[in-house]
Amino acid sequence: MAMTTQRTEKAATSAGTPAGRRVKALLVTSLPLIALVVLLVVWEVAGRMANPILFAPPSRVADAFVELTASGRLPQALFVSLQSLAAGFLLALVTGLAIGVLLGLHPTLARGVEPYIDAIYATPRVVMIPLVILWFGVGFWGRLFIIWIGGVVPIILNTAIGVRNVRQDLVEVAESFGASERQLVRHVILPGAVPYVMAGLRIAAGRLLLGVVIAEIFLDLTGVGGIIQTESAYFRTDNMLVGVLVFAALGVVMMWAFDLLEKAFSGWKERGAE
Amino acid sequence: MATDVAVGRARRFKTIPAGPHLLAASVFFGSWELYGHLGNPLLLPPVSAVVAGLFEITFGGPLLPALFSSLQLLFVGFGTALLVGTLLGILIGRYQLANRVFGPFLNAMYATPDIALLPLILLWFGFGMTGRVVVVFLAAFFPIMINTYAGVRDAPRELLEVASSFGVDTEVGRLRRVILPAALPLIMAGYRLGIGRAVVGMAVAEVYLRLGGLGTLIVQYGAAFRTDLLIASILPLPLLGVGLTKVFERIENRFQYWRKL
Repeated sequence: MAMTTQRTEKAATSAGTPAGRRVKALLVTSLPLIALVVLLVVWEVAGRMANPILFAPPSRVADAFVELTASGRLPQALFVSLQSLAAGFLLALVTGLAIGVLLGLHPTLARGVEPYIDAIYATPRVVMIPLVILWFGVGFWGRLFIIWIGGVVPIILNTAIGVRNVRQDLVEVAESFGASERQLVRHVILPGAVPYVMAGLRIAAGRLLLGVVIAEIFLDLTGVGGIIQTESAYFRTDNMLVGVLVFAALGVVMMWAFDLLEKAFSGWKERGAE
Repeated sequence: MATDVAVGRARRFKTIPAGPHLLAASVFFGSWELYGHLGNPLLLPPVSAVVAGLFEITFGGPLLPALFSSLQLLFVGFGTALLVGTLLGILIGRYQLANRVFGPFLNAMYATPDIALLPLILLWFGFGMTGRVVVVFLAAFFPIMINTYAGVRDAPRELLEVASSFGVDTEVGRLRRVILPAALPLIMAGYRLGIGRAVVGMAVAEVYLRLGGLGTLIVQYGAAFRTDLLIASILPLPLLGVGLTKVFERIENRFQYWRKL
């Protein structure tokens, strides 16, 4: 906060000079930071005036964060959430790749099966909850299913598209060198599909995290979602906001990481196309 | 920003022969029917029982009133998202300042799983219609806003110059004659993504609140262990999602065609 006020002062005194232009550019780049400070101040003031049941100022949310962390409740919950997220991600990746390659290699099979996959994709996962309870119970396996089924579909569909768009010249070269079907898949088709898989993973990432939230709020009161839902019954808005912010941070980090990953591999696609 | 911009989705198959579909359908529904008779009907009742259940709750049953109540929620929530999302998208696509101020927050909110906000939203906006509309609104808002933003931001500079030399020099004129027509295909793609997500938001709000609509019906049948009626009442949701998305895809394709001229 101190830094931004300093910058504003500088900009006011030296605007117009060549150095002033640099400071002005600095001011423009620091605008989001200034906006953040303004938001926090307004939130703090509004939060102190509002009914504490409905709203919590940032200072109270920060206190709640420290408290939940010190008591071990938040780290434990975060561990539970991350564990099911990682398990769901790995399962969705492995099964999605396998089914995607199968559907990509056999167009007739794909034509028959893809309407059902589309139907699953179009069904909101919240309404699957009663069925999931019957099939898997309310524990870890039920949560895993909800997370998996959201993430696996974009991976299947994108992998299948990637396999279908494999470069035919490379397939012919590999075949004329006597490559077997398995070698063809491993050395030509899968590497060619990687950029598409990455694009699918980026879509899947958001849905996997959403699956964690759905499973923890609607199915099994545990993890960070469990904190949000449980605390809402006691009107502890500060604790609820801590949970929401943890999910927001997870979402931002995942989106950023998968964006980078996709960009890294789309460069590979362009180079490969030359 | 604008990482999730989607333009018209490529048709996966141009011509669809019926053979594989019939085969897949008979295998799928046949094994479902068989399992329903041999296995535990509580876990998965045969498909014939589900169809019978669908008839039972459709004609004289609670399905149609629930569907009507759901559609009301859907259209109010989606309509608000369409209006606000388009306006805000134009604003931050057109003004660098607005983009720098609001961009990071909108990005962070977009990355936040919206269901995590559910208990808070209902605390703030109440358990009545307003709270439910806000849930649907939040689900549909982001794809609409982000696609509008991307379309407006990438408005063709040379067309703007031509327009200004022909005397279009007010902001409203520029928006109406150049920017919005150029951005229309992307904006329409945003509406298509938004309506699909609005259906999900609608289901989420109704399942969480249990105050009426399809979502509530589903929860009730689940709690009563009527798995046949449970699956029958889930079915309208993917149909609604796919159907409405197709409608918007049609509208979108008309604008794509117009753009190519």
